[in-house]
Amino acid sequence: MTLTRRSALALALAAGTALAAPAALAADDIVIAGSIPLTGVFAFAGVGVHAGIQDYVKIANDAGGIEGRKITYVAEDTAYKVDQSVAVFNKLTGANKVHLYYGDSTGFAKTINPELNRRGSILMAGASFATELNDPKAYPNQFMAGPDYTEMFGILLQHIAKVKPGAKVAFVNSDTEFGRDPIAPSEAMAKKLGLDVVVKIVTPPTAVDVSTEILKLRRADPDFTIFHGYVLAPLPEFMTQAKQLGLKTKFMGTFWSMDNSLWPKVGDAADGYMGVMPYRYYFDTEGKSSMLEKIRAMRPEYQSTPYMQGFLTAMLFVESARRTVKAGKELNGANLKAALNSIENFDTGGIIGTPITIKGNSIPVGRVYRFDAAKKSMVAESDWIQLGK
Amino acid sequence: MRIGTAKQTYAADEALFDTNVQRAWMGLFIALCVAFPFMASEYWLYMACLVAIHVISVTGLNIVTGFTGLVSLGQAAFMGVGAYAVAYAETKLGTPALLNLLAAGLLTAAVGALVGIPSLRVKGLYLAIATIASSIILHFIFANWDSVTNGVKGVSVPPARIFGVELGRPFALYFLILPLAFLSVLGAANLFRTRIGRAFIAIRDRDISAEVLGIPLLRYKLMSFALASFYAGVAGGLWAYFFRVVTPESFPFVYSIFFLAAIIVGGMGSILGSILGAVFMTMVPEVLKIGVGVASPLLSDAVAVLSPVRTIVFGILIIGFLVFEPHGLAEIWSRIRRFFHLWPFKT
Repeated sequence: MTLTRRSALALALAAGTALAAPAALAADDIVIAGSIPLTGVFAFAGVGVHAGIQDYVKIANDAGGIEGRKITYVAEDTAYKVDQSVAVFNKLTGANKVHLYYGDSTGFAKTINPELNRRGSILMAGASFATELNDPKAYPNQFMAGPDYTEMFGILLQHIAKVKPGAKVAFVNSDTEFGRDPIAPSEAMAKKLGLDVVVKIVTPPTAVDVSTEILKLRRADPDFTIFHGYVLAPLPEFMTQAKQLGLKTKFMGTFWSMDNSLWPKVGDAADGYMGVMPYRYYFDTEGKSSMLEKIRAMRPEYQSTPYMQGFLTAMLFVESARRTVKAGKELNGANLKAALNSIENFDTGGIIGTPITIKGNSIPVGRVYRFDAAKKSMVAESDWIQLGK
Repeated sequence: MRIGTAKQTYAADEALFDTNVQRAWMGLFIALCVAFPFMASEYWLYMACLVAIHVISVTGLNIVTGFTGLVSLGQAAFMGVGAYAVAYAETKLGTPALLNLLAAGLLTAAVGALVGIPSLRVKGLYLAIATIASSIILHFIFANWDSVTNGVKGVSVPPARIFGVELGRPFALYFLILPLAFLSVLGAANLFRTRIGRAFIAIRDRDISAEVLGIPLLRYKLMSFALASFYAGVAGGLWAYFFRVVTPESFPFVYSIFFLAAIIVGGMGSILGSILGAVFMTMVPEVLKIGVGVASPLLSDAVAVLSPVRTIVFGILIIGFLVFEPHGLAEIWSRIRRFFHLWPFKT
């Protein structure tokens, strides 16, 4: 038989179609799906989250899944755009019976909320720690695997109140929804803790020249300056200029500016920078941490803080599903959320250095870490701080 | 010159569809559009609605940029005005959805006319910068006019209701969005058969000559901005009903670039180009994702490995179109049509 161009084309098409068919999922698989930003401005986090979820799903499946049921993870890239995230949601939930979902942004979490409530079949978590989402009444089918942004500020302020009662504090935030999120409630909290918020500075999200802001800081002369609403820029610029001017203020930040890989490049100017971390770092060796040991065995190279976030989110997904299945209940949003809220003094295998209890939509626990430029690494500055205790 | 299309009247010469074959194809296309929601999955319906919203906005931008020659980089911000207008009307006034959409269009048209004032003095890149400045001002208003826009938190919009029917899902919204997209495109196509549309084209080709011909530049340039903004306002209003949350970050500046890219890729000064450009810019990233899906069984964790490649391919495709087909997708379409018009006499 001779292979004509037409038959070769038909063969290639048939092969392509066969390969395109997704790997068949068993009917009773427990499905975690995700709108993951693998490209775009948030890709640095998305790549880590994706790997974290994959690794925990593998660990859970290797341990026998959930009562013998396999856990499957399906994800697609969203480029950190809300319209694409919703498209991915529709696509993945159309092709699979999804029980648990990872969303990539506050915008997506708010947009998809009516649909989650309408379906009632999915429990969602994600990359957003927005204070607004920490409301079980408005967002009954969502949670976040850590403290919300206001709680992160609360942890920092509690630490400040402990180490320097009555300290002067400055807030610097980007002029975005993300940046403005915790500012107003945190000011009230600072007052309650006896701290003095001496200046609040708002910058454009991509600020490069911060010389006027530095002058404001110099005039206010705060003991601590807390940044929020940025990942890295313009923090190094602030730190460098503050050092040149001899300001004694100590700089602090929140979760997304706490990855260990960010700061060694900044060097000495970043020495002493502190921030709140809900999870332990990949390289933390204090105490017993079975999960960190497993992660280090699976991936010998450093894993980012978003990786830890994805890993813990997957762990909480699986734990909620396990509790629901064990109780013989249907896997739907309400039951999964109830199972999540039944988590009390839960050992995360060392991902969080203290047992956790999830009463609402967040886990109000964190620890202050400090960047040590000589060691080129983050070191623990405080013990684990649990808000509301 | 095609065979069998001799025109007997001026009206026939000006008709949008001048042959029965064209009318038959159009009828078939409309029938397919009506049948589509009953055959397609939620995902494809969602994409169809998104494409239709983009078609409306891109058509509007093509009126001002493609046909009148006034470069605007404020289309996304204008959509924001429309979206906030609908959100406000729906949550605070409780007026009917169709009225809200009309009001959104009219309000945005007024804002657009205001923003268009600099176009009387500046052109080209200078005007582009002026429209960027306007969109920054609009974004500032979105983020800070708390009593209307609810600041950075934004507004949650209840689902649209028309004659008591709730349009919450893409299936239902399709029957609102698609007819409006049809109407918008039809309106734009007809516009260029009127004095106003011809005046826009004259201004684009050389504004001084247009003025000499008796076209008042002030009125027509502002009218062009107002019309384009009306389209953006309606598209933004539909966007608000579609996504149901409007925040200042919903309409970033890159969204305006997206629309400009759509008219360039589709074809400047071509109604068909607006449609093809909107479809291309919205659907090609999705089609490339399907490509990533095909590679999944062959490559472990293809989603993570190939996603960055996908964005590069999308960029290369856009550059490729600009280099090899500067008149856009509409020109490719015309070439295909010409081939069939002349077939079998010339192939």
